[in-house]
Formats: sequence, structure tokens, C-alpha cells
Amino acid sequence: MTDPMLEVRNLKVAFPCAGGVIRAVEGIDLITKKAECVALVGESGCGKSVTALSIMKLLRTPPSVSRIDKLQLDGRDLARLTDREMERVRGRDMAMIFQDAMTALNPVMTVGKQIDEVYRRHTRLSRKDARQQTVSALELVGVPEASSRANSYPHELSGGMRQRVLIALAFACMPKLIIADEPTTSLDVTIQAQVLDVLKSMQQDHDVSALLITHDLSVVVNMADTVYVMYSGKIVETAAVQGLFLEPRHPYTQGLLASVPRLSDDKQAFVQIPDTVPHPMRKPSGCYFHPRCSRSSIPCPQRMPRLEPLENGRQVRCWHPLHQEREM
Amino acid sequence: MSERSVFLRVAQRGSSFLSLVKKLWQHPKGRVGLILVGFLVLVAVLAPVLAPYDPYDVTQRAEKGLRPSLQHPLGTTITTGQDIFSMLIYGSRVSLMIGISTGVVLAFLGALMGVMAGYIGGFVDNLIMRIVDVLLVIPTLPLIIVLTNFLGRSYFVIVLVFVLFGWTGLARIIRSLVLVLKNSNYVKAAELAGASRWYVMTKHILPGTSHLIIMNTTLTCAGIMVAEAGLSFLGLGDPTAISWGKMLAEAQGGGALLFGAWWWILAPGAGIFLAVFSFMRIGIVMEEVFNPRMKASSSIYKLFKHLNNTYLEEVFRSMEDEECPESSQEPDYLDASHAEGPP
Amino acid sequence: MIVSSDSRHSDPLLEMESVSVNFPVKRPHPFGRRRWIQAVTDVTLQVSEGETYGIVGESGCGKSTLANAMIGMVRPTEGTVRFRGDDLFSLKPKAFKDARHDMQMIFQDPFSSLNPRFTVYDIIKEPLYIRGGASEAAMTEKVLELLRLVGLDEEDLHRYPSDFSGGQRQRIGIARAIVLNPRFLVCDEPVSGLDVSVHAQILNLLMEIQKSRNLTYVFISHNLAVVKNICQDMLVMYLGKTMEIGVSNAIFANPLHPYTKALLSAVLDIDVRESHDRILLKGDTPSPIDPPRGCRFWQRCPFAMIGCETIPAELVEVERDHQVACHLVSGFSSEQRAAGLDRLVSPPSGG
Repeated sequence: MTDPMLEVRNLKVAFPCAGGVIRAVEGIDLITKKAECVALVGESGCGKSVTALSIMKLLRTPPSVSRIDKLQLDGRDLARLTDREMERVRGRDMAMIFQDAMTALNPVMTVGKQIDEVYRRHTRLSRKDARQQTVSALELVGVPEASSRANSYPHELSGGMRQRVLIALAFACMPKLIIADEPTTSLDVTIQAQVLDVLKSMQQDHDVSALLITHDLSVVVNMADTVYVMYSGKIVETAAVQGLFLEPRHPYTQGLLASVPRLSDDKQAFVQIPDTVPHPMRKPSGCYFHPRCSRSSIPCPQRMPRLEPLENGRQVRCWHPLHQEREM
Repeated sequence: MSERSVFLRVAQRGSSFLSLVKKLWQHPKGRVGLILVGFLVLVAVLAPVLAPYDPYDVTQRAEKGLRPSLQHPLGTTITTGQDIFSMLIYGSRVSLMIGISTGVVLAFLGALMGVMAGYIGGFVDNLIMRIVDVLLVIPTLPLIIVLTNFLGRSYFVIVLVFVLFGWTGLARIIRSLVLVLKNSNYVKAAELAGASRWYVMTKHILPGTSHLIIMNTTLTCAGIMVAEAGLSFLGLGDPTAISWGKMLAEAQGGGALLFGAWWWILAPGAGIFLAVFSFMRIGIVMEEVFNPRMKASSSIYKLFKHLNNTYLEEVFRSMEDEECPESSQEPDYLDASHAEGPP
Repeated sequence: MIVSSDSRHSDPLLEMESVSVNFPVKRPHPFGRRRWIQAVTDVTLQVSEGETYGIVGESGCGKSTLANAMIGMVRPTEGTVRFRGDDLFSLKPKAFKDARHDMQMIFQDPFSSLNPRFTVYDIIKEPLYIRGGASEAAMTEKVLELLRLVGLDEEDLHRYPSDFSGGQRQRIGIARAIVLNPRFLVCDEPVSGLDVSVHAQILNLLMEIQKSRNLTYVFISHNLAVVKNICQDMLVMYLGKTMEIGVSNAIFANPLHPYTKALLSAVLDIDVRESHDRILLKGDTPSPIDPPRGCRFWQRCPFAMIGCETIPAELVEVERDHQVACHLVSGFSSEQRAAGLDRLVSPPSGG
């Protein structure tokens, strides 16, 4: 078993505020192996974006407070690094692709200059060489006429193009880990397919580990090797992607999968999970999912289940997980 | 659920002005601003009561150039022997009156122009914006000087010029906001239901701009007070009135520096500073109140300073998974069909 | 909701005939060439009463403009819009207003479709208030009835939109849309801005309301899986023009237009076992200003032929209730073929 590329142990993040404490992330473990793509799946408000920011150490205290037992990238302890040391890690060893390219890119700098900046900051390339690298990076992600496009401003590019620029930015120094937070959510369907294709080939061709954060299960199917399902701050299931989609063990996972409309469906009502996600300040007692769970019984409302290991390296956090045989 | 209770609750929430004041009060900087403004207004209103001497009275002149004493807390002027303290108090009237009244008029005018330009669009928009362009080019100071030559030196001229030229800034900002609001989906929904343009303007557009108007007005008042002081200093205001700017001019002309009467300069200067400062305080705090994302980190820092560390550790501890209950394995929560054995 | 094919022959509730909507582009100086955004070009469709009509396309395809033309918010540059048989834009103001009361819209973004300064009560009551003629008590009662219908509480009346989640705001938007008892509802991507797990709730709610009130929906979406499930008829749009139109069953059984096929393969199905061939398009959506003379899709089409650039594709009926506008399907004339216009622009690439 090779050493993991990214290892996160027992991450906890809270946001104290006027009315109490927002429990954003409640003790999660996350492992990403080399060249593996791990997906962190959950709905809005489950804490996945906070997790990503914590891994990049981009959360400030205040307004957040966090605790972590272990944060390692390729064997290197990140938890103890100072801000300055962390700045050298970000961009070179670890990069992030944000959801909204318009806010992630500097609107008053050409995209070429922004990518140049990454090179010049982390390597000793001259301005000319950096620009050469920038152009080839843009070509790699499929930007046509890369050398002239490099002189465009972000607002002059279409959404799909901007997202490709973000990918080029992230991959510029061939980092060890890419964290992509909803990289294609704001894009059109056909553009989404194109961008994901680029992301996947970049990740595979260059052996880069990836942590993909999304609420869209269809993106996960095509991109991820391992999936972590997150609910209200806790990981409720982990599995290899095939296993998760074919035989979900946690009722929430099953509900999520069932609620995605399929092309193969007959015309019947859409399967829905009742009610809504719990408020991060007013979580239910016991298992957080129990008020919406059809399998809830003793001791679900009283005690929070632990994350138990199953076969094949799977894990599930449930008192009554689903079986081997697919249940309806 | 009676309709009346619905109404009452809606009305309560609707008194946003009071809730605004309340919010300002809760913010520490806002509280300071509110107190100062209140203090200044009180001084201006109660000037006849507070001032020990009537500064307009030309007969009761004391000795000229007295140093501060119990009788004359800020001494008397070198030129005319008026009590500086009383002048200071009366001076507040001019500053506040001009500042607030002009600010309010500008608020109306600027908002009206901005909403018309933004909402009606087309020719009206073009017309108003071109007028704005022209007005911005004209230099106001020389204009005031020229006008005072023809119309005499009075605050009327100053206020007139302020009002004629000062609405442009607000109009532009409001117009931009209106352009955005106009295309909101909720406006569309109202239009679908048959809303008239007037309805949309009064019910959706104007309330949507109210916070911007209020905020801008407070800052405008501050700016006007400074401008007025400057103009009075130059001697363009009413020569018979008492204003802080004029006091500064008199101090300079009367040789305050020469004779070391620094209090004569400091007093009106402090007055101007206080007035402008308090209004700006309120304006800045209002911006924070209206835009929660801009909340000063200071309030969060304060929250953190008072954070109970043990409480926080308690929260983190509660996030842990509970210990594995080895021996106390209750079989009743394993349902009969559960194929897995004990963990 | 099964609609018999005969309904297509009965009078449609809404009809659009050769509708085009063009917007002028502001010229940089008065002597420049006048350019036009051809948002919608020559669209013809019929929506039968009680059905759900799907309009499929991505951003920039003109579906929002089309929807706006349907409800009378934007006047077509050419063509007619007929609602219940009447030419909508020729109606007298009063009749126009009355017709409009029968139409409403549900918007895509739940965060900007509700006035943040209005309480839920104000929002849902507003259409009633604007129309007038109802007492405060009657309005309150109606609002409460609808609030419960969409699954919210009485105590939510005094809350502001910021207190609610995206899904809940959309419910408020739905309540507002049906308060005047419209017959016709345009749903503009009602679930695109929401989490996937909430889609099902909102869609089920919309279907329930349709069934109980016999409403007619025009459903705009880029998610073909949803469209397949709820729409009886559909129209695939690209850059303002109809690419494929017909009964949705027929189109899904036999998708012919390359764009439809690309959309289908881009709707990433979550079936891990099947790995279908993905059709990846080239490039980005071009701008609708001065679109190409020929087929508007040709620049991105993986099967484009030389003739596609200059010769516009007409809609041809390939089977009953199924029309396609594509040279691959309709073919070129013999003269055109002789000129070599049917040669592929680029040889087919893998996948």
C-alpha cells in the first residue's frame, strides 16, 4: 500500500457566531492516493467547500476555528507550516480550481499574465520562458489560438474558456494535488462535458491526484475513482465509485442516487428525499439524517453511528446500512 | 390567523427607520456617531440657552482679545471683543442647517433624477446623463464667486449652487442600481400580473434604492459642511451670520496666530471636524449595516475575544465519534434481517 | 400525464408561427453598420392545453427570449403569437391585460426572483393586489391556501426570502405564479439553480399542481432526462433556430440532429456500467450577433459538411410528429452534391 498523497485526519471546523456555533465540519478523514481522483459529494451546506478551504489552509481564524490531527501532502506535514511557507506550497504542490471563474480571475490582468505569474513565482523562469510555458499550458487545455488568447482579459472569454484558463492555472506547475470545487457547475451541459474531459485527461496524463468537490453525481461517475459522501458535516459513506453507484449502503446515498433523473426512466414521479438538510446550528440528535430516513429506528435518534469499515475498504456511518442485495 | 395580526407584524417590520437607528446604536462606532450628531443638534437648537452671551448683540462687547477665563471660556475676539464660546455655539446652527437641509434636498433631487433616468430610459436617460456631464464640467467655485457678485453674499447663493450641481453624484449611483433592479425577475413577475410603471417604481425600485440614498446623503451632508466652511472662510457667505468658517477667517485676519490666540483657531476647527466626523461615522456604519458582507472584522474579533475557550473545546469534543461500546452490545437495535454480525 | 395524440389536432392553447425576435446592437458610432442580435429566428410551435411542452437548449440559444415572447413581454419582430386563438400582440390593452392574467412565469434563479425586502406574504399576495378587486381578508386566505399547497407553514408568512433555502424560495415563487389561477405557466429552468437532491421535490410539486389544476406548462431546460420524463412535446433550439421538434417520445427514440445527440451524451447518465460514446463538440457557443448564414450549428458540428456553412437547413418531417433541420438528414440536391458540398469539413475523430 503506497503512501497516500493527501492525508487528512479528524478535521473539525466551527464558525462561532452571535447565535451559537456553526458546526461546519465534524471530524472527517480523507485520503487521496497518488494519481487518484477522489470525489467529495454532498449538498449545499454540508461542509465540503469548507473542507477544501481547510486543506488549503485558506480559512482564517477568525471567523473560523479549526482543529486537525493530521494534514499531510506527500508525506510533508502542512499543519505546522506558517502562512509564508504555505504560500510556497499553494500553486506549486497544491492548486485549487474554483467554481466561479469570474471571481477567481483578476479582471484587470490578462489571463496570460496571471498564468505567467504562477510560473515566475514558483520557478526561476524568465519572463519570456514563462510566457512560452503559459502558451503551451493553454494549448494543453484546449484554448484555440493560445498565444493571442493569452492577451485576453477574463471578461472577453466565454465561461467554458475561463474555466479552461483556471485549469491551466492550476496545472501550471504540475502540482501533486488539485482541488476542484464545483469546477463545472455554472457551465452549460455541452461545455461542461468538454471541460471535464480536459480535466480528466490532464489529471490522468500527468499523474496528478485530484480532490473533486461537487453536488452533481453525474460528474462523479465520469471523473472519480473513490467517493466520499458528506452529510451535514460528517462523512457518511466512502467507497470506490462503481461500488457506491451500484450498491449504496447509506440511505442518504441511495436517496441521492435515486433522485437524479435518468434517461432510462419511465414517466413516473421523481424520487425525492423528504424535508431538507438540517440547519448547521440546529442539528438533530443522534444520526443527523434520521429525520429524513425511511430506515430510522432505535438507536438512530439517540446516538450518532460511527464510521464502520466494510469489505473492500468501504465505510459507512449507519446503524442500519443497506445490504449486499440491492434494496428498493 | 386574523388579517389584522398579519398587518401589524408586517407594519412592525416595515418601520425600517427605527430599526436602522437601533442597529446603528448597537454598533459601537455607530453609537458614537449617533451621540455626537445628537449632541450637535441639541447644541444648535438650544443655542440661545447655552450661549452665555448673545454674539449678535453689538452693544455688549467686552474687552477685545481676552484670554480664556471663567467668564469667557474661549476668550474674546481680538477684532471685535465678541465671546468666542457663544460664537462657537451659534456657529453650529449654520453648519448643521446648511449641511442637513442641502443634503436632504440633494437626496430628493438626485434620487428622482437617477430613478427617472434608469427606469424610463431612452431619451430621458440620455437627456439627464448629458446634463450631468455638463454640470460636472462647470467649476463651482468660480461660479459661486461670480454669482455672489450679482446676487450678493448670502447662503442662499451657496445652497443654490450646491443644489444645482450636487445632485449628479447620487443620480449616477442610483441610476446604475435602478438599471439592475429594473431587470430583476420579481419586477418581471409584477409586470406580468399587470403592474403599472408607477407601481413598479414606487413599490420595488425606490425601496430598493433607499439604503443607498440614506447612506449617500449622510456622507453628502458631511461634504457640504466642509464645503460651506471653506466658502465662508473665503468670505462668500452671509457676512452677518456666524459660522465656523467665518470664524476661521476672522481669526486669521484678526491676527490670532500673531497674538498666539490658538484657541480662537482651534475652536471652530474642532467644531467643523466634529460635525463632519460624526456624519461620516454614521455613513460608514450604515454601509456596514446595509451590506452584511462588509461587516467589520472588528466585531468578529470582539466576538472571538470573548469566546469561551472551554465552550469551544466542548463543541469540538462533541464532534468526536463515541467510543466503541465493546461489551455493551445491545442486540435489540440490530434488526432481524440484518445480515452483518457484531462489528 | 398521458396526453392522447389527438390533442395535437385540437386547438392549441398557445401557438407561435414563424416568430423571429431581433434586437439591435448599440452602434459604437452613428455611422457604423447596424448589427442585429438574432435571438429567435423563425420558430413555429403549438402547445396543447394540459400538456408540458419542453424547450431544450443551452445559454444563448434564445429560449428565454422565446419564453418572453410567449407571455407578451417582448414583441416579435416577425411572426405571430396566438394565445387561445387570439393574436396576442394585436389585442386591445384591456384584452391583452386579461390574457396576461392567464399566464405566469417561474424563474430560474430563486435568489433573485423574490424581492428581498418583501415578506413572503407580500410576495405571494402581490399579483392579487395588483389585479385588485379582492378584500384583504380574501387575499390572506388565498395566500395561506397556496402556502400550504407548496408545503410551507403559516408562520413563514412574515419571514423574508433570506430566511429560506433555494428550494423553499422556489416554492414561494411557484405559489406566487399560481395565485391568479393562470392557465399557462412558463417554467424557465426552475430547478437548474438548485441542488440535485432538491430537484425531485420541486419537479414533483410542479407535476402535482399541473394535474390538480389542469395547467399547461412550457418547460425550459437543458436537462434532457427531466424533459424526457415530463414533456409530451419538445423543441431543441440552438442559436435561435429550431434544430429538432416533435413528440418527445419520438425524438428520444430516434434523435437525429447532431446537437440533440451531443446534448444526450452530455447529460452524463449515472449508470456506471454503460459507457456510451460521448460526442464532444468543438469550440464554444458563438455569439448571436450576425449568426452564420447556413446552419447555425455548423461550426461546432462534428459531422459538418462544406455546404452546411452557407446553405441554411430547413425543417423536414422524418416521421410523424418529428422534424429535423439538418443536411445530414435532408441531404443535398444533386447539383449541390456535384459541387462537392457534401464533403465533410473535417474527417471524423475518434469518440
